[in-house]
Amino acid sequence: MTKIRRLTALTRAGIIESLQFRLGTAVMLFGNLIYLALVYFLWKAIYDSSGTDMVNGMTFHDTMIYLILATAIFNLLEMFIVWDMSRAIQSGEIIIHLLKPMRYRLYTFWSYTGAHVNNFFLAFVPTFIVVAVITGGAIPMGMNLLYFMISLILALIVNFNIEMLVAPICLYTESTWGINIVKETIVLLLSGATIPLAFFPEGLRQAVEFLPFRAVYDIPLTVLLAKNGTDTLAGLLPKLGIQALWVVVLTVCGNLFWNHAVKKITVNGG
Amino acid sequence: MELARERKRGLSFYLSIYRKILIQDLKSKMSFRTDFIISTFGMVLTNVSGFITFMILFHNFPSVNGWDYNHMLFLYGFSLIALTPVQCFFDNNWNLRFMVRSGDFIKYCFRPINVFFYFISEVFDVKGLGQFAFGLGTFIYAWAHIGIPVTFVTIAEAVLFLMTASLFMIALMNFAAATCFWIINSGYVMVIMFRFKDFAKYPASIFNSVFRFIFTFIIPIAFVAYYPSLVFVTPDRVPLLSWLSPAIGALFFWLSYKFWMLGVRKYDFTGS
Repeated sequence: MTKIRRLTALTRAGIIESLQFRLGTAVMLFGNLIYLALVYFLWKAIYDSSGTDMVNGMTFHDTMIYLILATAIFNLLEMFIVWDMSRAIQSGEIIIHLLKPMRYRLYTFWSYTGAHVNNFFLAFVPTFIVVAVITGGAIPMGMNLLYFMISLILALIVNFNIEMLVAPICLYTESTWGINIVKETIVLLLSGATIPLAFFPEGLRQAVEFLPFRAVYDIPLTVLLAKNGTDTLAGLLPKLGIQALWVVVLTVCGNLFWNHAVKKITVNGG
Repeated sequence: MELARERKRGLSFYLSIYRKILIQDLKSKMSFRTDFIISTFGMVLTNVSGFITFMILFHNFPSVNGWDYNHMLFLYGFSLIALTPVQCFFDNNWNLRFMVRSGDFIKYCFRPINVFFYFISEVFDVKGLGQFAFGLGTFIYAWAHIGIPVTFVTIAEAVLFLMTASLFMIALMNFAAATCFWIINSGYVMVIMFRFKDFAKYPASIFNSVFRFIFTFIIPIAFVAYYPSLVFVTPDRVPLLSWLSPAIGALFFWLSYKFWMLGVRKYDFTGS
């Protein structure tokens, strides 16, 4: 019980901390709106020139919902662990984190939950409502919303684990920007956040099926739109199973790697 | 006459300083060799990823708004080249807000040279050269496949329009970076502006009139590739804005420079 209270205290601190940057959130929201308008016009032009309503099982509305909510999830899940960790190492602050009576991975995860909660209510939910209203019922409203929440939490854990798996590489290479851009590019492309996976050529799509990235964007969004048979339990459980599998695999790998990397830390001065 | 000579000496003076700072910067970068290699790889990867996205789009949809594959490729290559200078020469803008906040920025104000020049010249981003090569390859490929004639005039036009197109993104980033003189933690302004560049590679004709106005006159990303490209892609009906784009680019850059310097002056007064 005390343990849970300790963890939720981190959540609370995170909520308060991220509420400090209200102007930033407002500007970010405004920037996102313009960005979404860009996405809208691009895909509208694309669908208009294609001459058909349905491409690869996706209508224009489906594609829009998919891409807008992918952006919303991207903002929701965004973590700066790679940056935080390398900054903490450069300043020596990492020692303080390591001395805390809590495992570093656990501490990092829970201190980000506050920002996640905020982003969910202040950015994701409004975006979701706007999209649902504009597309006029293209998003099914039923049990899929609940399934989506489960899938989203799993996606969050997978994303955290990818970050935690990548961040310690900085300890070995002293490269933050480089590592981060490689990670971001790969995740955004192969998770279907830039272009829905349904549009990928067959070979590439099958290859992507075996990678963890689709567990971050593609699976939650597919579940939300109730596509590919995810509206039935028989279709849904395998998808959630894939996510759960990646949670386990990546957590184990991340733990092993972190335990190895933490011995490599050299702090200059501190 | 006297004034002209003064100006000329000024330019060569600044060039020689730029060369000296550049060499120091490259030396310090080379001491982090792994970082350099990984960053270069990362930059190439972003370009490859952008290209894959592009190919996947065209795999599903053969044309967008009357622009076929080669024309879109031309726009894409054009935008990559035009976005290289902001990456290579103006990358230090990303550090501005940290410098201003920590107070380290004051060191730039104590040199007997232009503050903007000194600050910007401190970092040269080598990674951008990969993007340049990638863009140039795409550009030449598309140029040949569209069948644009290769004459002295077209090549001179290409150089002129590419150089002036690059001013738009530079100016946008100058504006975005300079907001940190007024707003603490204004990194998000830069992040948003930088994201808009992803849309420079699409024809502005896809937007409705409101957004076309915004992206032409307020956040002018349509000038990064679309307007100047029209000079080459549809030579028989080039809109006036395309011909004016070099002048607009120069003006926009000058405004951003003034805004940046205004921030510097404001910074001095706070005395932080």
